[in-house]
Amino acid sequence: MNSNRLAASLGAAFVLTASVSTAALAQAPVCSAPVKVLAQPRDGLTLLEDSKDEFKKLSGASFQIDYLNENDRRAKSRADASTVGNYNVYYVDEANVALFASSGWIVPLTDYYPADYDYADFDPGRQKVATYDGKVWFAPLTGGGDLMVYRKDVLEAAGIQPPKTLDELIADVPKLTNADKGMYGIALRGARGSGANVWRWMPFFKAYGGKWFDGDKPAFNSDAAVKATETYLKLFKDSAPGTQTGSWDESTGAFLSGQVAILVESTPLSGMAVDPKTSQVVGKVGFLPPPSPLPGGGYGHGLAIGTKANADDAAKKCAGLFIAWATSKESEKRRLGAHQFGELNRTSILTSKEFADIYGADLGKALADTGKVTAVNFWQDPRWPDLGDRWGIILEELVTGTRTDIKGGLNELEAYANELVKKK
Amino acid sequence: MRRRSSLPVTFLVPTLAILLVLSMVPTLYAIVIALQNRELSTTGYSWVWFSNFADLFTDRRFLNAVWVSVKWEIVTVVATMVVAIGLGVLMFEAAGPRMRNFYCLLFIIPVLLPRVSAAFVWKFAYHPLYGIATYPYRLVTGGLIFDPLSKPATALFAVATVDVWQWGLFFAVIVLKLLETLPPQPIEAARLDHARRWQIHAYVTLPMLKAPLVSLMFVKMIESLRSFDLIYVMTRGGPGVATETLDMYAFSQGFIESGKVSYASAMAVLMMIATVITFTMLWKRVQA
Repeated sequence: MNSNRLAASLGAAFVLTASVSTAALAQAPVCSAPVKVLAQPRDGLTLLEDSKDEFKKLSGASFQIDYLNENDRRAKSRADASTVGNYNVYYVDEANVALFASSGWIVPLTDYYPADYDYADFDPGRQKVATYDGKVWFAPLTGGGDLMVYRKDVLEAAGIQPPKTLDELIADVPKLTNADKGMYGIALRGARGSGANVWRWMPFFKAYGGKWFDGDKPAFNSDAAVKATETYLKLFKDSAPGTQTGSWDESTGAFLSGQVAILVESTPLSGMAVDPKTSQVVGKVGFLPPPSPLPGGGYGHGLAIGTKANADDAAKKCAGLFIAWATSKESEKRRLGAHQFGELNRTSILTSKEFADIYGADLGKALADTGKVTAVNFWQDPRWPDLGDRWGIILEELVTGTRTDIKGGLNELEAYANELVKKK
Repeated sequence: MRRRSSLPVTFLVPTLAILLVLSMVPTLYAIVIALQNRELSTTGYSWVWFSNFADLFTDRRFLNAVWVSVKWEIVTVVATMVVAIGLGVLMFEAAGPRMRNFYCLLFIIPVLLPRVSAAFVWKFAYHPLYGIATYPYRLVTGGLIFDPLSKPATALFAVATVDVWQWGLFFAVIVLKLLETLPPQPIEAARLDHARRWQIHAYVTLPMLKAPLVSLMFVKMIESLRSFDLIYVMTRGGPGVATETLDMYAFSQGFIESGKVSYASAMAVLMMIATVITFTMLWKRVQA
């Protein structure tokens, strides 16, 4: 009897201990060390830093974000991910996700993205950009296509209707330039880089029927590329000062400070243009899809789980939780509240009443229309940054007049592309 | 008979051993990598021996980078020394002790600024519409635009100006201090012989300072080889490849564009060999 009582007591003690342990385990913090993130500056991430305590409460650890501008972030993350792997989370984009994924520098996101955070709620276009080889690799922080943003007052004063075709755009831009009054017809990107000058050049290339490869054979050295480059250089004659060696910051900065009449740029510009904190042209701006047949440049940037810094499953889960929290509906609501248009990616937010109340119906319509012409213009391959950056250098040389032979530049690029193909 | 002390060995051997490890290991590793075909995106590699070096001599960007590096070296070293000697002599001749101290403090500030900060400050100063450095041009021409960093003819000189601003002013302080240490008798003797001020410096003081001035020049030559951060922030080697120096191109090949670390290492090894040979020859010539 005594032995039975003892066994029963021991059993009860075991069950109690086990349940206490389980409860303790259930509340055990997911993260044991701060999450290190390598990113490029984004308003959404800056806002996120205000909620550090919230993440600490959720995960048990804080996070630290190191910021570098886009080109530096690309170079640094590539160097870091391929060697030491200091960062738990990398900011990746459409241009390098294939490289990072195929090199094993990041792990498939959905394996570690908690289901409660509803990945399927992200805009389908952005999900597509985040997918490579059938797997999802990042959660979007920004993305979209292109919009034509124009100064209604300037066009009206010049008696010009907003251009609906590329030919109209080419004809209108010189008429809108009045350098004496500090007004320029357009702003383009001249600075080297697959995500810089090449990004803005690609819609022209595609509009003239260009394609990158035919199977394994480079097909870009074509009349389409020559015509696209000639058009780009022609438009550059009326591009705002500072853009010849500038990129997104310089071209949008010129528009927002009132020096540019028409700008075809990535969609976040539209939100900045209507925000008095960032724009001096509020109330003077109109939105339309890019002049036909220019396709919009579909893109997406987001956060991915690094492989090396997250050696075990627990570390990967922690990084996954950080990404899920950083891109959650609650985080996006905060960004919407802070009028951070370019940082919104979830369908539930983009279609919400609050969104329509803040940004109005015009912008909503333009976004819907531009979605129809948004396309992936770059070569979806791990070798794209390599090829794109090489063309970026040649294009920058052409823009700044260091070289003038377009065909020679394309021949050089083709020789380089053939080398890349051989190495595969 | 003097007893041999073990003290020099005790102090020298560990220091030299550490120095040897710190300098030789990366150097040997760079040479080994340069003989392979390593890339960041792949783990596999093979030995290609001198293929990377052979490829460099048919690479137009490498040849351009060599030329840009030579131009950069000449422009920055010559301009720094001219500014340093000119300002140093001017302060020595025209300023009293108090003003000299004030100028010294003022001229040291630029070199105390981190290189990257200086680059950003000047990048904004060169902005074609808002920059303070381009303002006089806009004022004189009635608002015409001048963008020195996007013009191939002016970009290198615009960046070199920042380098000279930092180092030329700092060296001017050193030159002044060197002039102050000279014995006054030769200068007084020259004055008694009715030598003009410029003649005193050209024929008396500066020849007396030949050795420290040559050392300063060598310091600047080595420093100019390491201007990567300045160029990277201000132009990233552009416009086109107008300011792409060898270190900038090597970094670009290794980490920005294609991840060709072996190719970049080959460049680094060539740079190291060229630098050692050039500096040895120059040093021997100066010593002779």
